[in-house]
Amino acid sequence: MQRLPSARCLLLVLLLAIPALCDAREYLQVFVVAPYLELHTGPGRGYPVFNVVDRDGSVDVLVRYTEWFKVRTERGVVGWVAEGDMLHTVLADGSAFTFNRGDRAGFTSHRFEMGMFAGTYGGATLISAYTSLSFNSQLAAEVSVGQFLGNASNGVVADVGLTHVFMPEWRWSPFVMLGTGLVHTEPKATLVEPVNRTEQTAYVGGGVRYYLTRRFFLRAEYKSHVVFTKLNSNEVVDEWKLGFAFFF
Amino acid sequence: METGIRVLLLSAAFVLGGCASIHHLFHRHDDAAAQAPNDAAAEEGNDHPPRVIDPDVERRKITVPKIRSHNVEFGVQYGALSIENFGTNPVYGFTAAYHVSEDFFFQGAFGRSQAGRTSFETLSNINLLTPSERYFTYYDLALGYNFLPGEVFLGRKTAMTSAFYLLGGIGSTDFAGDSKFTVSFGGGYRVLPTDWMAVHIGVEDRVFQSSLLGVDKLTNNLEATIGASVFF
Repeated sequence: MQRLPSARCLLLVLLLAIPALCDAREYLQVFVVAPYLELHTGPGRGYPVFNVVDRDGSVDVLVRYTEWFKVRTERGVVGWVAEGDMLHTVLADGSAFTFNRGDRAGFTSHRFEMGMFAGTYGGATLISAYTSLSFNSQLAAEVSVGQFLGNASNGVVADVGLTHVFMPEWRWSPFVMLGTGLVHTEPKATLVEPVNRTEQTAYVGGGVRYYLTRRFFLRAEYKSHVVFTKLNSNEVVDEWKLGFAFFF
Repeated sequence: METGIRVLLLSAAFVLGGCASIHHLFHRHDDAAAQAPNDAAAEEGNDHPPRVIDPDVERRKITVPKIRSHNVEFGVQYGALSIENFGTNPVYGFTAAYHVSEDFFFQGAFGRSQAGRTSFETLSNINLLTPSERYFTYYDLALGYNFLPGEVFLGRKTAMTSAFYLLGGIGSTDFAGDSKFTVSFGGGYRVLPTDWMAVHIGVEDRVFQSSLLGVDKLTNNLEATIGASVFF
């Protein structure tokens, strides 16, 4: 009789766990309009085709990994479909199945960008990364952080500002930047009386981006920082950098 | 007799005729009842078309299910780091990656180890570095390239996707009281038991300029790790 409460508890836990165990998630259903849809064993061009779905058949889209969609057929077969093949499917109402693709149109107009750079900051080696949020194809808000490593001092920089792209549809598209930030400088201990300092900066700059392929582009830029020091005159620091970026 | 038959036929004709006339009356009444709204509708029809069915149905708002993406990967790793001149020591770290295409991904990594003693320190029984200076802390931003994608089979029914990858990146290493610009390169092997989880084995070399032991030279710091990551 002592075991009865624990058995009830176990039953209760099982009952509570059933909804979690059952996958109640709804998946997007698309219909094949091409003669057939090929299913690969893995998310890559080298994985072999092991199943096909005929025209007018439907598949549930389970998950997306880069340029591949994992789908489940009406018969429960699960496989991976290439992005290009998914363009030949439609939604239940007959409208085309559209999704965000990494192509030239995406380069012209996208929501987010991320990238990393190598360069120089006032003569020191700079490692930097940035992310941006686009309001439209031309204007974006941007945040970047970086670390510079020099002979005289090390430090970190953080900037926030706006970027305006002039011709977003061009493969080489120039842009200008304006913003503000902070710089934290740590002079090397070998110098006399090193004092760490954090100062505000303002910058103006420009650059160019070059579309490579898929979601990738190169980005080269120059920023002229004015560091608002506690001295009589402000300091001007040049920043040059080149890096890889991608949009999504 | 003949007169009786005529009277009967005439009576029958009268009754039938009367019934027909009455039915006609009823029928006309029904028609009139049906005609009335039609007339009214016809009158209204000048302004609006007649309503056959009142469409008192609320339109359902259809939401198309979103497609989940598994392009972002967070991982932890543990292994051994050979710090040049300072012996091999355990290292642990974290990684974050974004898979841009089936071939390329960006990865940020952070790791930490603690250096041992150089042979010079052991022999002369002195300490070149303070305990806090012995921490070897690094980060890097790398571009990764997947190659040799394949599958790993466990028995008859289980197949897991896998790939080798190359990494090349830049970053910084904080060691012996100084931060150094570091170039890292290496490779690894990744197996995915499920769509959302991966197991990694990796080897990387972290190269930076150091003059710690009196000579300015490039130091190679080899790292071998095993790790697990989750895709979001």
